[in-house]
This record gives sequence, structure tokens and C-alpha cells, in this order.
Amino acid sequence: MSSRKTISRLVAIGGICTAVVLAATGCGAGGPAASGSTASNTINVLVEAGGHAELAGVADVCKKETGIEANFVELPYEGLFNRLSSEFSSGNVSFDVAALDSVWIPSFKDAVQPIDELFTDEAKKDIFPALVKEANVNGHFIGMPAWTNAEIILYRKDLFEDAKNKADFKAKYGYELAAPTTWKQYQDISEFFTKDGMFGTDVKGAVETEWLAHVLQAGSPMVLDDKNNVVIDNAAHKEALDFYTSLVKSAPSGAAQVDWAAAQNLFNQGKTAMTRFWAHAYRQIPKDAAVFGKVGAAPMIGGSAGVAGVPGPWYLSVPKATKNSDAAKKFIKCAYDHNDLGIESKLGLAARISAFEKYQDKPGYESFKPLIQTLNAKATATRPATAKWQQIVDTVLTPTLQKAVAGGDSSALLAEAKTKVQALLK
Amino acid sequence: MSIAHKETTMETRITTTTAARPTAVTSPGGGPRRGVNREGLEAGKRSTRTILWILLAASLVLYGFPFVYLLLTSFKTPIDTIAVPPTILPKEWTVVNYMNALGRGGVVASIINSVQTAVISTLLSLLLAVPAAYGITRYKTLSGRVFIMAALVTRMVPPVAIGIPLASMMASVGMSDTPIALAIAHTTISLPLSIWLMSSFFEAVPRDLEEAATVDGCSRLGALWRVVVPVVSGGIAVTAIFAFLASWNEFLFALLMTAIRSQTTPVVIANFQTQFGLDWGSMTALAAVYSIPVILLTLLLQRKIVAGMTLGAVKG
Repeated sequence: MSSRKTISRLVAIGGICTAVVLAATGCGAGGPAASGSTASNTINVLVEAGGHAELAGVADVCKKETGIEANFVELPYEGLFNRLSSEFSSGNVSFDVAALDSVWIPSFKDAVQPIDELFTDEAKKDIFPALVKEANVNGHFIGMPAWTNAEIILYRKDLFEDAKNKADFKAKYGYELAAPTTWKQYQDISEFFTKDGMFGTDVKGAVETEWLAHVLQAGSPMVLDDKNNVVIDNAAHKEALDFYTSLVKSAPSGAAQVDWAAAQNLFNQGKTAMTRFWAHAYRQIPKDAAVFGKVGAAPMIGGSAGVAGVPGPWYLSVPKATKNSDAAKKFIKCAYDHNDLGIESKLGLAARISAFEKYQDKPGYESFKPLIQTLNAKATATRPATAKWQQIVDTVLTPTLQKAVAGGDSSALLAEAKTKVQALLK
Repeated sequence: MSIAHKETTMETRITTTTAARPTAVTSPGGGPRRGVNREGLEAGKRSTRTILWILLAASLVLYGFPFVYLLLTSFKTPIDTIAVPPTILPKEWTVVNYMNALGRGGVVASIINSVQTAVISTLLSLLLAVPAAYGITRYKTLSGRVFIMAALVTRMVPPVAIGIPLASMMASVGMSDTPIALAIAHTTISLPLSIWLMSSFFEAVPRDLEEAATVDGCSRLGALWRVVVPVVSGGIAVTAIFAFLASWNEFLFALLMTAIRSQTTPVVIANFQTQFGLDWGSMTALAAVYSIPVILLTLLLQRKIVAGMTLGAVKG
């Protein structure tokens, strides 16, 4: 076949393809356009991919009850922040409701509208105190919690209940082997189970939240006090960091690179006897995992200030730029009313205390009581309300933690971190 | 001289050049013959051959292993995908990841969107790059040189710097969340490279060919269409492949500019990594499925690609 014939054929095929493609382009393959700014009974909900399942059941019920149909726009976590930033800054939004991570609230507080009418006295009693506080910015509630999480203790029930382990532990440490409630117990148990190729716990050097939970347990606010003074070099931060690094000897090597996924894998593979981890992981242990059916759950451990955790809530907010505010608010109200439906999803979380309590005694939901206790603990607090928080985490907290678990001097590292945080906040 | 004769001359020239290269010399039995100067993997010295084969194997592993590992992971059970230490072969083979991935809402639509976007973007790139490159190479003007340098400079701008303004612009003209808007955005990525590639291919075509065509009565555009374009068809195939791939795999613009109607598969693949965990099995399964069209396209156009590369290699 000559080159000219080939070209002619390619041109013909290209022409047909173009016509077909351009015709199809008029409506796209994914469904209706994401206009998001015209008043109607259809709303677009921008949500992180993992959170979609949490709201899918709610959306079905809300459609029946209110006639409002929700189209979900799923994006990966990192991409969602970029998308929100770009659309909020342009003032032209393609969504009517956005699910916001709590750490983004300070960044987007001026782009979303108050939803005070949804925060009735009854609602405020049914939402964990730390979340009610975080949702209130400058006297207005700007986000309704859709689901929340916190770190609890997951432990190998089979190992803890083993008669030999119980006897050996008591002989060595002088008290009964049970789920730890204090730092000292956590250290002892971690040390005890570090043998025969197994480790007592993990140490996550690549994520900062767990260390910050220990800071709360030690009685200090995280990094910034209520007047935005940098307190990262105070005694509580050092005490928490020293406790954190003391566990390195009872954890797998390479702690500086261990993040949530790695720690979860280690536990599910049966390599660690305990982990401090987000509560949702309890229900996500694969059925073919070595530890399936052998895991117990307990509240987060406590320090001198008692039990404390850092909540990980997501809030539903309505952008100021949408013209579909009424439908958006109706959807959020409906999502609050049927918050317990999220528990039936793959992620299995909710935001209302009553929703967790409804399931806490059912088999398979053993992690809920420890989660409620941790979230209700007096010392539990949300992250500091600063738009620079993610930057502080990425450029100061995580590198500091990584150096500390690698053997760095905690006092020097915290002093250096203070200077860096102060520079970022200037 | 007729156009057909000129084409034959060109083909002969390329064939001659290829024929002049050292080729493997084989014995009547099919094996390499001793004492003959050979190069590459057919080199006479065993040590040279061994080194070359090792290098080839290393390159194959380097390029091929990540994809093979991805493919194998897509057939693993959930616990097997997160094994510590990782395993290469699945302990138990399963297709459940493919069922999960393809059964997820919006996946099929996203693949259609990806095809639409990539085809439109490729056509736009070729429609703009071919005449642009031809003009630059045939009319060697200062503005042409400035233009081609400027095209190169646009490659150096981080996509995120233009992604957000581009998304706003598309929204303001009512084109947000459409494959055509995304295709235009992707064209901004592929067009500079397409112009540069096509320029090098046009450079390799002797001017005599066009002059002969014009002597035979062709206009300049006629000569371009009837003589030059057929000669550089391999180059066009190479450029089309690059433009298609640039759009097919693009993530950032798709993230910023698409939502319900036009979301492409790279964004859907990324959605398997959530704040609460990473579904390795489904992610790798969809990634494997998504790579099939590109592999097929490359195999289909393999001869054209090689011809195009050869054309660029023998210029001057």
C-alpha cells in the first residue's frame, strides 16, 4: 500500500473519529454538567474519594425525603485542596456543597457561608465538643461535621489473652497484662512483645498527628497556644517527643519513613502487637489478614493530662458563590439527620455521638466505645486554627519528628522547630 | 522529473542509508560467522556480546519491571498487596480487583472521556503543529526562530501555573467540565513538543522534492500535501503518539478542570488512594486496563514509529 493511500485512510478515519468525538463531546460521558451555580433540586457535592461512600447512603435517603439529588465529584485528597483553592479564588464554583478536612477550615473560612440555623442546641449536644468548637469560626458555624475519627489503641487480643504471655508479663513487670492506659504501660508492653521477629508497636516518623496527641496527653496545646504563641519547645512537647522516641527500640527499623499505610500494613500482617491508629482501621482489617478476628480496641492512652486524641473530622460546607444555597443547606440538614447511615458504609464512621452509640454494642463495632471515650476526653483538641498549619506540618513538624526518631536531640530539635514555626507565622 | 519518480528516489535514498549500516552476518546455518566484523548484540567477541546482553537485560528489567509488578499486583488478594516484605508473585490469583475497579461507578465513563479528550487533543496538536513546523523549516525567518524558541519556553512553565487560570477561563466561557476544554488544555502541553518533533522531520526532507513537485504543477500546499506529508508520515505517527500519550496520562489539568461530566481515568485511578487507605489491588487493576489501549496503539504504529525515528536520524 502506498504512503498516499495510508495517509488518505488515516485522514478518513481521523475525520470520522473527529465527527463522532465532537458529537459525543456535547454531553460528555459522565452525566450532567457540573454547573453548580443554578438554583435547582440537583446539587453537586465535592468530596474526597474516601468520603464518598460515607455520603452515598445519605444521598439516597435525602433524594426520597427532600427531592434533592446529589451528584458527587470525587477527587483524591491532595487534589481536592488544589481544586477548592482554585475555585474559591476564582469565585466561580462548580459545586454546592464541599466536604472539607478540618485542617482546611482556616484556609477557606471566608469562602463558605454560615450555617448557624443547623446548629440547634440539640445538635450541639450530639456533636463532640472539640468539633463544635472547631466548626465555629468568628462566631458563626461554617461546617457541619459529617464524620470524625480519632486514634485509639488496637492490640492483639490473642496475644494479650495468652496464658503464658500473661504469666511472663506479670513476672517481669509486676502487673497484669491488659490493654495499656498509660505511657508507661505502653512502653512496657511494647518492650515485652518485641521478640521472636515481632515488635511491640510501630513508631510513625513520617506523620505528626500521633506525637501531637501525646502532647495533648502531656497537658499542652499543640504547637500554638490560644493566643497563637509558639509553644513547641515547652516541657510537654519534649516529654511527648521523648516518650515517642523511647518506643523506637520496640518498633521495626526505618521509623522515620513509617506512615499510616506502613503502620497499618505492619499490624495487619501480624508484625506488631499494638498500634495507635485511626479507629476506622478496626473494621477494615482484611478477612484474609493474619490478625483478622484477633484484634481488640481500647481508648487512646493517657499522660499526665489524661486520655487525649486529635480528632480527624470532615465538615460539609456551603460555598458563598453557589446560587443553590437552599438546596445545599437542606442536603446538609438531611445528612445530619441521617448521620448514622455513614456507619453502614465501607469507612464506617459518623459524627454524631448518638450515631456511634447506636452501634457501639453491636458485634463488629467494638472500636466505637474507645472512639467515643477518646473523642469525649477533656484533653482532646483539634489542630490549631491557622491557615499555615499544613505548611507547618510539612516543613517543620514532620522533619523534626523524623530527625528525632533517628536519634536527634529533642531539646535542640524543638528549639529549632520553634524558630521555624515563628518564621512561618510572621 | 515526475513526482512518483522523485518519491522513488527518496525511498531509495533511505533504503540505501539503511543498507549501508553494519548488519548481522550469518552463516548458511543461520548462526553468526566467525571472523566477520559485526557490531551490537551480534558482535564477534563473546565478552562484548555478554556485556551487551547484560545491559539489554538490565534495561528491560528497569523499564519493564514496574509494569510487570503492577500487573502482578492487580491479581493479588488485598492482604497480599500489602505484604511485608512485598512479594512479586501472587500467593493466590484473583480477578476480584478487576471486578471492583471496573464495577466502580464512573469508571467506564472516565475511560470514554479519556479517549475523547486524547483524540481531540492529538488532532488539534497535529492540525496546528504540522503547518507550524513546515512554515518554520521552509521559511527560515527570524520570527520563525523566535517562535520555535518561544514554543520551547512554554514547555518550561510548570503546568500548575497555567492550570488554574485556564480552568477559570474555560469556566467563564461556559466550557467547564467538558472534554473539549480539557483537550485544549492538553494541547498546550503537547503542541510545543509536536512542533519541535515535526520540525526535525521536515528538516530531513530535501527541498528538491518540493521543487520537483512545483515544477510538475503543484502549488506549495499541494506539494506539502502530496509529497512532503507522505514522506514524513512516520514522523506524524511519532508525533501523534507523543501527543496522545501526553493527554492520555495527564493528571493535573484533569484534576482542576473536570468534575462529573468529563473526569478522565487518571483522576479516577488516583481516587483509589484516600485519606483512609490505599486500595492497591483495584488501583493497579484499573491502571493495567488503562494501559492496554496505549500498548495496542504503540504496537499498531510500531513500524511507522521506527520509520519516523529513522527519518529523523538520517537528516543532513
